[in-house]
Amino acid sequence: MKDHKTLKTRELFAMMTIFVGMKLADTTPSLLSSKASNAFWMIPIISFIVIIPSFLLLIFLLKKYKDKNLIQLLEAILGTYLGKALGFTIFLSAFLSLSLDSRNYVEQIKLLYFPESPTTILYFVFIGVAFIGAKKGLEVIGYSSWIGLPLIKFSMLLMAFLIFDRIILLRIFPIFGDGLDVVLTQGIKKASIFSELFLFTIAYTAFKDTNTFRKGSYLGSFVVIFEITFFFLLYTLVFDYNSVGKVAFPFHDITQYINFGDYFTNVETFFMVFWLLAAYMRFIIFLYLIAWIFAAVFNIKEFEPLILPFAFFTIIIGMIPDNTLLNDLFYRDRLLNYMTPLFISFPIILWIVAFFKGDLKKT
Amino acid sequence: MFKFLKKVQQTDSKSEPEAVHTKLDKNAQHIKQLFSYGLNKDFTFRELTAKYSQEKIEIYYYSSIVDANKVYDAIVRPLLESEGKQIRDVIVAESVKEITDFEQATEHINSGKAIIFEDGNNTAYSIDVAKFEYRGIGKAENESTIRGPQEAFTESLNVNVSLIRKRMHDKQLVTEGKQVGARSKSEVNIVYVKDLVNEEILKSVRERLDNIEADNVRNLELLEQFIEERPYSLVPTVLFTERPGNATSYLEDGHIIILMNNSAGCLIVPVTFWSFFHSPEDRYLRFLFGNFSRLVRMLAFYLTTMISATYIAITNFHSAMLPPDLLLAITASRERVPFPLIFEILIMEIAFELIREAGIRIPNPLGPTIGIVGALILGQAAVQANIISPIIVIITAVSGLTSFAVTDVSINYSVRITRFIFIFSAGFLGIFSLMGAFLAWFMYVASIKSFGVPFFAPLSPSYRSPHDTLFRKAIRNEIWRPGQIKPKDIRKKANSK
Repeated sequence: MKDHKTLKTRELFAMMTIFVGMKLADTTPSLLSSKASNAFWMIPIISFIVIIPSFLLLIFLLKKYKDKNLIQLLEAILGTYLGKALGFTIFLSAFLSLSLDSRNYVEQIKLLYFPESPTTILYFVFIGVAFIGAKKGLEVIGYSSWIGLPLIKFSMLLMAFLIFDRIILLRIFPIFGDGLDVVLTQGIKKASIFSELFLFTIAYTAFKDTNTFRKGSYLGSFVVIFEITFFFLLYTLVFDYNSVGKVAFPFHDITQYINFGDYFTNVETFFMVFWLLAAYMRFIIFLYLIAWIFAAVFNIKEFEPLILPFAFFTIIIGMIPDNTLLNDLFYRDRLLNYMTPLFISFPIILWIVAFFKGDLKKT
Repeated sequence: MFKFLKKVQQTDSKSEPEAVHTKLDKNAQHIKQLFSYGLNKDFTFRELTAKYSQEKIEIYYYSSIVDANKVYDAIVRPLLESEGKQIRDVIVAESVKEITDFEQATEHINSGKAIIFEDGNNTAYSIDVAKFEYRGIGKAENESTIRGPQEAFTESLNVNVSLIRKRMHDKQLVTEGKQVGARSKSEVNIVYVKDLVNEEILKSVRERLDNIEADNVRNLELLEQFIEERPYSLVPTVLFTERPGNATSYLEDGHIIILMNNSAGCLIVPVTFWSFFHSPEDRYLRFLFGNFSRLVRMLAFYLTTMISATYIAITNFHSAMLPPDLLLAITASRERVPFPLIFEILIMEIAFELIREAGIRIPNPLGPTIGIVGALILGQAAVQANIISPIIVIITAVSGLTSFAVTDVSINYSVRITRFIFIFSAGFLGIFSLMGAFLAWFMYVASIKSFGVPFFAPLSPSYRSPHDTLFRKAIRNEIWRPGQIKPKDIRKKANSK
């Protein structure tokens, strides 16, 4: 019995919340808080407001041009060459972000748990698992995300619940931290923290029907923005104005404050389990989508063999930055800034071109 | 020199089978040659002159697999005593089949029928007088339950079908016959409910049975390996059960059952992870009790695969996580042990596996020895000799004990192999590599399909179904059949609207 396209809204929702929602537990909060101090929790809201129109526009276009994925849409609107060029640019920025992000995660794991292990080994294990997972295909990734989602979210909620007694609400002030201008500019510059939402559109046609994709992506993106803001606010309220900018890994630091009663006082490894699960899932999805985008740009039908070389190149590129500080505060910061205009503008450009071509008038 | 390159000569079986002659002598000669009459001790024939036609008649059969009384009552006596126009009117057996060639004749004799040749008639007749010996219906011993019927399948196909029919009075319940094996043809029965079963799955089952290339498939345990998709996979994709009650409950949901002679059980396809996880007793117990039992089993599932690995990961790599008192206790108990932790665990786990394997193979009278040796060596002596620390005994005992709660024999092996994978990965980089191995394992299992049905359905991908996964609903609230197998009629309650 062959059952095509078993993926539904819930699987997309799970993949999105794991993939993008994971940002609340990596170094993104510390990257932002180092700029905007305790007001950094507003940045995702601003970023989201800035980038969501483009995302919705892209979904709108996909709906208009039925049964096309991201790259096919680009080609349909901009023509083969221009479309492929833009597709390739998206691929490049996403791939760079994959490499730098993965290095970032490996460095987190190394710093927190394996300070004496070589980065290379950890990196190979990490990407190796991501490769094995990605090789299983989108359906299995979707199933696993959905089954893993409750565990991951439960651990997050448990953490939020246990840290509640350390919260002081007044730490929200000064409300704009280092100034409204900083918050706004950072919010706009870092809009690309949601750029990963766009990558899912490559899988537009892989779901049961495109309607489920749209539902899943709306649901996913709104839940993501909600939980990211919630946890950023939680970090602010726990760490306060000055120190929040200096905390390197807010999520892991919070888990160090948590006790299960008086007996189990060091439970960070417990949360680490679910964090690792989510981190692996995130890079499985990332790797898979990137291989797919690349294959779509270059008209490669069987793209799953591409996952292995891409996994390898991820490690090679990820190893370029000399240390985690340079990687995170320089390369990743810049990359996020550069990606923002690309992801905000390309759906708008597409829409304008489509509009003048007259494609939008067709029902 | 290149003999092996030459095609093996096809045997005569492919060519046109020889037809039954009109002359009795020729037929007799041929069939005697086919069955090595004289050399073959239990191949017997009886010669007589029929009263109704005054023609010579010969009856051929294997004396070891037919009922001698029946041969006499249903064939020999009527032929000698009764009048009639044709042979069909004379013989009183319940079924008489006409046979025109020797291939059929051979087949029928092999399956316990008597073949009658009549002089001047180019049709032979086959009469079912088979009487194969089999064990009586016993108690289900490998899938024990406290409540629920205790009958188990036995090694006879007909008895097994009757056990199912006894539980399911449905005119749509079909037992479709098929033969597998080239040399020794064995009867396989595909049992399903005609207006529930998914045609595609049924077709694929038929195809897989047809595509078996083997001289002989003796029983279901072997058949399972012939029809499964991935012979090298870690997890089973066909469920074997010895309980007719369990089999019937699957039939009601639209699954397909495969039965065969010589196997005290049946195969069920398609199945999911949950089929292996569930026990028939979950349904015989009330809602809360059954679900509690499932919760305990899930815990056992987790413990048996993970406890040893987690222990290694935490004590070796993340000892900060342990409360100081516990950490001190563990350290103190390991003080005099010379081996690394992972080595200790492996010694004990392997010892446990050895005891287990030996326990299955050991002849019954020697059984108690295993207990004594196991308890002494594993428990007492190893600790006193400082080979392993006492805490390891506890860990291994828990991991071994919980593995017995994973009832299905096949999935039990999967779980035990998985445990070793996890132990090694935990020894590599602690929780980091353990989680990696777990996720890789999990995704591997999620990618398995049994006859096209994803292994974790209906949890994900979800289908309209009773959602009988980790927990089950109250039976009166189960409206749907499992949608992942796409039954023709998904609604379980015909009477309600």
